[in-house]
Formats: sequence, C-alpha cells, structure tokens
Amino acid sequence: MSIFIDRTTRVLVQGITGSEGSFWTKHMLGLGTVVVAGVTPGKEGQVVEGVPVYDSVRKAAQTSGADASVLFVPPRFAKDAVFEAMDAGLRKIVVVAEGIPVHDALDIRFAARSCGAMVIGGNTSGVITPGQAMMGIFPYWIDRVYKPGRVGVMTRSGSLTNEVTAMLIRGGFGVSTLVGVGGDQVPGSRFAEVLPLFEKDPETDAVLLIGELGGSMEEEVAEAMAERRFAKPLGAFIAGRAAPPGKTMGHAGAIISAGKGSAQGKIDALSRAGARVAERPSQVAGIFREMLK
Amino acid sequence: MKLYEYQGKELLAQAGIPTPAAKLISSPDELDVAIAVVGLPCVLKAQLLSGGRGKAGLIQVADTKDDARRKAKRIFAAPQKVKKLLVEQKLEIARELYLCVTLDPVSSTAIVMASTRGGVDIEEVAAKSPEKIVREPVSVAHGLMPFNLRNLIAPLGLEKETAKAVSRIAEQLYGLWRKQDAVLAEINPLAVTKSGQVIAADAKVVIDDHALFRQPFEHVAEEYGNAVEFEAAQEGIPYLQFDGDIGLMCAGAGLTNTVFDLIHDYGGRPANFLEFGGPNYRKALQAMQLTLKSNAKVILIVTFGTIARADVMAEGIAEAIKALKPTIPIVTAIRGTNEEAAAEILRGIGLEPLMDTEEAVKKAVALAKGGAQ
Repeated sequence: MSIFIDRTTRVLVQGITGSEGSFWTKHMLGLGTVVVAGVTPGKEGQVVEGVPVYDSVRKAAQTSGADASVLFVPPRFAKDAVFEAMDAGLRKIVVVAEGIPVHDALDIRFAARSCGAMVIGGNTSGVITPGQAMMGIFPYWIDRVYKPGRVGVMTRSGSLTNEVTAMLIRGGFGVSTLVGVGGDQVPGSRFAEVLPLFEKDPETDAVLLIGELGGSMEEEVAEAMAERRFAKPLGAFIAGRAAPPGKTMGHAGAIISAGKGSAQGKIDALSRAGARVAERPSQVAGIFREMLK
Repeated sequence: MKLYEYQGKELLAQAGIPTPAAKLISSPDELDVAIAVVGLPCVLKAQLLSGGRGKAGLIQVADTKDDARRKAKRIFAAPQKVKKLLVEQKLEIARELYLCVTLDPVSSTAIVMASTRGGVDIEEVAAKSPEKIVREPVSVAHGLMPFNLRNLIAPLGLEKETAKAVSRIAEQLYGLWRKQDAVLAEINPLAVTKSGQVIAADAKVVIDDHALFRQPFEHVAEEYGNAVEFEAAQEGIPYLQFDGDIGLMCAGAGLTNTVFDLIHDYGGRPANFLEFGGPNYRKALQAMQLTLKSNAKVILIVTFGTIARADVMAEGIAEAIKALKPTIPIVTAIRGTNEEAAAEILRGIGLEPLMDTEEAVKKAVALAKGGAQ
C-alpha cells in the first residue's frame, strides 16, 4: 500500500506537451502510473505518449475521470494552473515548478486548505510509490534509491533524498511512498500534514524524515509526535548544522532568522519527542534497524 | 531582495503613507540643493543595505550647512563605501511606534504587527516582552478587513487621532506588501511627532526574489558579500564565500548543506558554498571558475543527480579541467543517473572517482591539511 498515489490513481498532466511534461509523462507511464489525460491550452486533439490532450482541466477531468494532477508549468503560471485544477474538482495536486512567487504560494495554500485539496510542492520532485506509480520527476529505475518497501519518506530536498534514501535501501529497507514537500518557504503541504497519511497507512511501518535548516516544519513533526498524533517510529536526518546564521543556503526555505530554524534546534526538538536523528547519512540504516527490530 | 531605505520610502509615499521631506544625493556637492528642499536641521542617512548604520556613525543630524557638509564628507569617505546619501527633514519625534507586514507559512496568512515600543530595541522587545507586539493574522484571500484593523489598533491604547492615522497607514502598508510582492514591509520607527503627525521615519522592504519578473527592481552588487558572490548570482549559481580551504562544488541545496556539515565534522573548513544542481548542472565550467576564486587548496565535487545526469556533470568537469587547468587536487563523488559512464569519464582524465560522500569528504579534508593525495 501507499499514501497519496498508487497504481489505481488516475493522473492528469498539466503542461503535457512541453519538453519536461512529455519526457516525464513517458517515465510516469513507464513505472505503471495510470496517466489518463493531458492539458495544454490550445493543443486539444494532440496525443502525447498515447495520452489525449485537452484545452482545459475541466474538460480533461470530466472526460477522463482523472482524480489527481501533476503540473509541468513555469513558476509564473503555477498559481493559475493549480486554481484551474481545484476548480475542476481535483484534490491531489503536485507542483514541480521551482521559483513560484511567495504571494502566489500563499494564495495556493490558502485556497487548497479552503477546499480540502492537498497540494504538494512547488520546487519538488513530487510523490512516488516505488513499484507502482509516481507524479513528478523521479528516476525510478535507480533501484538503489527507489525500491519498494515499508518505510515512508518525507523530504524537502532532491539530491539529498537520493543520498540518504540510498543508505536506507543499502540497509535492507524499502520505501512505501516518498513525498517531496519541496524546498520553498511556503510549500503547499507541510511535513506535519503528510504525517497522518503515513500514520494511517497499514503498509508503512516507520517514517524517514529528511529535513534541513530553516522554517519550522521539522518542529511541527516533533510536536505531532509529542502529542501522540504520530505514534510510529520516526528516524530523521537534518542538514545544515554548520550553516552560518542569516545566509540563504540554497533553498529559499533554508535560512536561519532571529535564531529560529537552526538544524540543531530541529534535532533537539525531534530527539525530545522520541525520534532518532542520524548525524550522518551512513547512520540512517542502523537507526532503522534498531527501531524496527 | 532587500531595498534601500530611500526605495522603501518611495514605495510608502506611493501608497499614501506620510514620509519626511527628503532628497537623495550622491556627492556632498549636491547638499545645498537638498537642504533647500528639506530645510535645517536635517538628517544625513547613508544608504546601505546592512543594519547598524546609526551605531557605525552613518546617520548624522546637522544643524547648519557647514555642519552638514562636514558630516556628509565624512560619511562618503567611510570604509563602507557609501554611494548614496538620503538628506531628510529632521522630525520632532514624541514617540516611536512599530508597524510591519510579513507572512506566516504555516497558516498561509499575512501577519500584521504593531507595537507602541518601536525604535532600535524592537528585537529585544520581541524576545523579552512579546506581549507588547500585537500580531494580527490576515487572510490573503479577503485582505485586511475593518475587524483586523480594530484587533490590531485597539490594544495599543493610542489616543483617537493617532489611532486613526496608524490604522490608515496599516491598511496602506498591507496594500503595498501585497502589490509589490514584498515578504516584509516594515516601518520602524513609525514616528508620532510633537505636532501629532504620524510619519514613517524609516522603511525596510524586502521583495520576493521569485517575483522580480513582475516587479521593477534589479539586484545590486551590495546585496552580496563580495564581487565573486555577485558574479555567481549573475550566473544564477547559489554561491557564498568562506575563509576555509576546501572548495565545494555540489548539486542540490540539501546535499550541499550536508557536505558542508560533514566537512566541519571531520575537522575541515569550507572555502565556499556552491550549488550547481538543477537548472545549473551544465555549468561545471562556471562553477569551477568561481571555486578557483576562493582560497581552495582542494576541490570537492559531490553530486547525486537524477535529471542532472552524472555523465553530463562528469563531462562538464572534464571540460572545465581542460580549460582551467587547476593546480589543486580534485576529489569527486558523482552519483546518480548514468554514474558508471561518469566514473569512466573521470578515470579517463586521471581522477580516482569515489562513490561515497563521507569517504570523499575525509579525503578532501586530508588533502587540504597537506596529506598524501
């Protein structure tokens, strides 16, 4: 089993005729994802990788019975595209685009919460249930990272996810679902909002949290654990212990301000709440072996 | 990006918020014209992006023209390389308030904050007596509503006319924050003058970098720590310079932070923070050029790319080495899509590619300390 997406999810691709959209549609299909429709305004009637293209999400969703959408649109058009998907009744939306204006991200998150939609991203690789389906840009064929199993993964990062997840797989574990919430300051969904899905999933035994400095998402996970809203074992790796305060270290979300959001603060909060925190990626497998023995 | 005070005040004025009479000058020669506009006494304020201008002596009050000229010359000659000076009417300040609009990623609302304890100590107030700062969350979908303003202003206990003026300014500041894609719009202090006028004595506005395509601002060199960081920004490569000796070329913000941590853990010191993943993965040449401008004694390259294919990055590095002929050793851990082909390419140019991040970090630390290659 899995969360958010499995082999029965009917996926729609917004921006399907672009180079990224068509490339990743091919690979989503390659993994087994049920891609039922694509949307690019003005391109109705075309077919991409066997998937019919429509002018609007409303028409595509009605015709195809899609229940989720993944967006390959430039950041400045992301807000319009997400609102169009929500207007068409879709409630699972993945936004890959990096560089969405923060005011647009506020509007997206506010609207999603108002209508009960879950928006994942932007600035993310997306969501993958290895061996079944994905919405996003994962090289699922690298089996030292994307191996099916029973550990749920939540992350803010791309390359670091490969680094850390590869260590988990090397230790003999596999992944139920991997959710990239994205590296932006205002992600559509936060770690603590993904956590209940893993808590409910009978096929997820434990969660690996890959966090970094900046913001408060890791602290919110610690809070959920302390209040027993999440009761499964949780292991974490937090990057950015050595980062100097006040500097933006890559991700827009990765900045320490006014003494808040430091990696050490997150490590302390998670440890206090009962999580096991790895100091180095190579310790991750050992931690999960101890937690799940 | 952070705006200069004078740019922030221009935005405030456009939004209808009262600001002091002011004139921006770029040399002491323009002082007479400025004083003709703002009168005497006046305030000379160096336009710098960094804080602590007052403590550094870069904000001065002048009573006469001679006094102003002397002080302006001193400010322009300061080591901070002041290029612009804001000459302002001196306010007769009776009390200092605080007003700002920012955002809360968790609730996805705007947050409007106000306090009667404005001035230079606002951060101390926030830390020690947070109850002195009123925080009002505002729905971005509906905007700042009359009830929001009542919730914000009533607890301040201001007298009626002042309360009305602050309320109007809060509304205008919220409008500015929204319209200009600001992540922060702050007035500190919001001055109440002896004659009862409420006026913005300072302005701090930070515009969202991702919204610059629809806002009329451009990055300036002063935003960056040094010329190399500015050069990197022009290339679109996230880059920070430090005083260590291990030059980093990594892909992905999270992975770069992790390598940064591991270097510290193993007793080394990074010379830079450089990320050439994502859209930059074909920029190995530019990345190496930048890294060679740091104090690096060794270059450490760590990637684990997916779309940023390992073989493409290795090819780029091989070409960069050919073009730049670095004389310092290079340690690589390049993994991800087509990593076998990448290792082949690296061996072809005489490198010994590693596949493990920690092993690579340890080797780089040893090399920087003068250990065997």
